Amino acid sequence: MSRRLSVSVSMIALALLCGVMAGFAADPPIPIGVSVAQTGPLALAGQDQVLGAQIAEELFNKQGGVNGRPIKLVFQDGGSDEPTSINAFQNLINVAKVVGILGPSLSQQAFAADPFAVRAKVPVIGPSNTAKGIPQIGEFVSRVSAPVAIVAPNAVKAAMDINKNLKKVAVLYAQNDAFNKSESETFQQAVRDLKLDLATVQTFQTTDTDFTAQITNVLNVKPDLVIVSGFQVDGGNLIKQLRDFGYKGLIVGGNGVNTAAIFPVCKAKCDGILIAQAYSPAYKSKINDEFKAVYKDKQKKDPPQFSAQAFTGIQVFVEALRALDKKSPLAKMDLAALRIELNKQLIAGTYDTPLGEISFSTGPGMGGEIVQKQAYVAQIKMEPDGTKGTFVFVK
Amino acid sequence: MNRTLLLQQVLNGLAIGSVYAIFALGYTLIFSVLRIINFTHGAIFTIGAYATYALTGSPFGINGLLAGATLPFGLPFVLALLGGSLIAAICGVIVERLAFRPLRLLGADPLLTLVSSLGVAVALVNVTQYLFGAEPYAFPDPLERWPAAVNFGSASQPVLVRTVQVVIFGVSMVMLVLLTYLMNATRTGKALRAVAEDMTTSSLLGIDTDRLVLLTFVISGFLGGVTGTLIGLSVGLAGPYFGIAFGLKGLAVIVLGGLGDIPGAVVGGLVIGLAEAFVPAQYIAYREAVAFALLFIVLLVRPQGLLGRAQVQKV
Repeated sequence: MSRRLSVSVSMIALALLCGVMAGFAADPPIPIGVSVAQTGPLALAGQDQVLGAQIAEELFNKQGGVNGRPIKLVFQDGGSDEPTSINAFQNLINVAKVVGILGPSLSQQAFAADPFAVRAKVPVIGPSNTAKGIPQIGEFVSRVSAPVAIVAPNAVKAAMDINKNLKKVAVLYAQNDAFNKSESETFQQAVRDLKLDLATVQTFQTTDTDFTAQITNVLNVKPDLVIVSGFQVDGGNLIKQLRDFGYKGLIVGGNGVNTAAIFPVCKAKCDGILIAQAYSPAYKSKINDEFKAVYKDKQKKDPPQFSAQAFTGIQVFVEALRALDKKSPLAKMDLAALRIELNKQLIAGTYDTPLGEISFSTGPGMGGEIVQKQAYVAQIKMEPDGTKGTFVFVK
Repeated sequence: MNRTLLLQQVLNGLAIGSVYAIFALGYTLIFSVLRIINFTHGAIFTIGAYATYALTGSPFGINGLLAGATLPFGLPFVLALLGGSLIAAICGVIVERLAFRPLRLLGADPLLTLVSSLGVAVALVNVTQYLFGAEPYAFPDPLERWPAAVNFGSASQPVLVRTVQVVIFGVSMVMLVLLTYLMNATRTGKALRAVAEDMTTSSLLGIDTDRLVLLTFVISGFLGGVTGTLIGLSVGLAGPYFGIAFGLKGLAVIVLGGLGDIPGAVVGGLVIGLAEAFVPAQYIAYREAVAFALLFIVLLVRPQGLLGRAQVQKV
């Protein structure tokens, strides 16, 4: 009896001692999970996101982290498919015990993996999920990537600035893909709202390679602007064939063609496509300049949207943690409470980020939907031989 | 529908149809001699296109084993096309030796050959993806100095067809003439038809059937390579699966034209192309269904296809 008692007492003492020592020692870094596509077909985008997050870690830790306590990013490859991202999320939540997660790369992955975070009450910030319904997955899911519905119409406005007499619009979209269909509906609504003439709407399949019939119908209405919602191969091919048929007017592309991967498809004929963007390196602000300087130092080029959004996601976590720590010190909270409070805090805040000023709107059962003040439009400029191209910002 | 639009739709149909026809020619050749559906044709067609791409000295992208690799030389497009088609022909020979010959020697059921060809097709596509990655490629455009489209109408009422499609139409007609000549007017053609009629008897008559079967695969592979390159020129190399996508349509074309009938493959291709061109604008995304519905109706009326001869059951 006495022996058992003494063991218990010494164990309690040891536990107390450890606790006290932990309190006195320098606080360990705060773990924030990052799960993006480091492998698979999306790896190119994923690498940009990793870099953006790392730059944020470096920059904010230099500024003293969360009121003196550094952050530490825990990377767990989310792959380019749903099962890998689910595994990564579970690992980050249960093993790495992170306070929040930045990820995943794809909307499709978000619909699969985010519910696990919602159940575990862990805040998630989507860095590049633009599909409809992402914050509605649950109250712990927010995003810093503006949904297409908000961004897309800006490209139409930019087209109107370039061609003041713009009147007739033709819209084409891949009808067998949910994302392109809903994006096209947004475009069509924007065309009506801007009092333009929606002269024809043509559909195709993402597997189509020949668009002669649709293009004949489009050219028949003599449009001033053609809006294309498709993916890189079908969208790129459609645009190439449209130009082959002699169409000289303006072209607006959707998010599916918002990638340098269309360059080999339409080559020199990609030139001039207008695409709405959530980020512009040309945006003037202190934080964007700092971010851009570090990125340029590492990569010798301007940062892409994916990096800027990942940076922004980490920034939101850091600033929310700082604010929360001031209200009630983080060290005194257990992990479960910290995750819940962090989620509330991050949705409530306003942030000055490389994307411009952002905040979140929310509703019952949903997390934070980004409210982004600035919007940008880029135009593709191809070299005459069609081998290289760049996105040039027009506003 | 006014005349300009009608002419435009007819030319659109012929342009799309000639792509189907040119694909189906190599397909139907093997069927006419061996009575097997060769699903590897789509894969060999893809390999031919990739080989041409490589021979022009163009670099490979970021994902495959050959990422960033380039040949130390670059051939002019026409030479690269011939070289790429030759590589496709060699692939055809390898496929015949590995996948078809062993089964033929065993006297296997045609269904087994069909499944074997399907398996080889999937394997070839996967090897292509492993080597070259899944990203799209585009050829350096040899028609770049020509106008992108040819006007068949007037200046005020243009009826445009893309130049590359005019070229494809022309090449498919040349291929049709050459193949018809080969089959009907040469000794080799006669021997091929004898093999098609009855392999055992023709072998007994002193025809080297093995050599002729191999020749069929060489020609079919070569045609596949030419077609793959030309279609790739028109729509880009949309990844390793792009040939397979034509496989099903090609099958519909040769069934419609009359299985194994060479002019029938061209007629079948053009008919399906025209049918697709006249699908009303609002249903255009469903034009594949129209093509297959047409096939179904023709088969109800003429089970032997448009140009096929009725099979007389020998009792």
